[in-house]
Amino acid sequence: MAYNSTTGPHHHHPTTPASHSHGRGMDNMMMHMTFYFGFKNVELLFSGLVINTAGEMAGAFVAVFLLAMFYEGLKIARESLLRKSQVSIRYNSMPVPGPNGTILMETHKTVGQQMLSFPHLLQTVLHIVQVVISYFLMLIFMTYNGYLCIAVAAGAGTGYFLFSWKKAVVVDITEHCH
Amino acid sequence: MHFIFSDEVVLLFDFWSVHSPAGMALSVLVVLLLAVLYESIKVGKAKLLYQAAVSMSIATIQLTEETDQDSLGSDSAPVSRTHLRWFFCHFGQSLIHVVQVVIGYFMMLAVMSYNTWIFFGVIIGSAVGYYLAYPLLSMV
Repeated sequence: MAYNSTTGPHHHHPTTPASHSHGRGMDNMMMHMTFYFGFKNVELLFSGLVINTAGEMAGAFVAVFLLAMFYEGLKIARESLLRKSQVSIRYNSMPVPGPNGTILMETHKTVGQQMLSFPHLLQTVLHIVQVVISYFLMLIFMTYNGYLCIAVAAGAGTGYFLFSWKKAVVVDITEHCH
Repeated sequence: MHFIFSDEVVLLFDFWSVHSPAGMALSVLVVLLLAVLYESIKVGKAKLLYQAAVSMSIATIQLTEETDQDSLGSDSAPVSRTHLRWFFCHFGQSLIHVVQVVIGYFMMLAVMSYNTWIFFGVIIGSAVGYYLAYPLLSMV
């Protein structure tokens, strides 16, 4: 069922039957489908968070900027945590019977993480946090608000610049002849 | 909301409104090229990082050789030159990262228009971009 686009500059009203539910509290029928710059009546992720003034938009800009920076830092931190936990090599020695009745010590070397080890559990928790934050950033970008989208992009760039600086230095030292 | 086949869509910006099959074909082509660009930027950023790390390690090896030869206090200028080079390298990579993030979000918003042609354009563009760009990653 194709929905007809109106000639309004910013708002598209989907003409589905579900839009005639005034008594049910569904007042979010107007979703922006193109980029716009504005700070009046901007809903941000949660039902209580509505931006109405320029000051609130400035605060939201800073918060989204910091969230995007934190996301980039979290990615770098997980990478370095993974590399650090994979340096540890475990040796398992077990006695096996050898020829002539002697007992030999057989040593197995395992590299990597166990399932129940603390580094793997920490990686899993951080992965969930990363997935949730990435979906939040996607939803923020989906508001099509120009200020918030610029905040996401600038925060991502700044976070990458600040946190990947250190990572690149580490890569420089530890990985040679690649 | 569901996927529809339609010749009318408004993509991302107010001025990008499509009404005709020709316009739709052009829009699908643009979205396809955008997806190809996204995949190539991913590969390009990895290669840039690798080349920057290689050149910086060569520079630091040369720097340590120079400071071993003449142990006077004349090593401040090469060190700051290396740091400045690394700063510009890393700043360029950060700009490329911003472009990659923005294009990724644009592609997500294009798919969100729920137009099936645009969706096909994104998918085929990602496939073509991956096919062309990723072999370049292993080539040194």
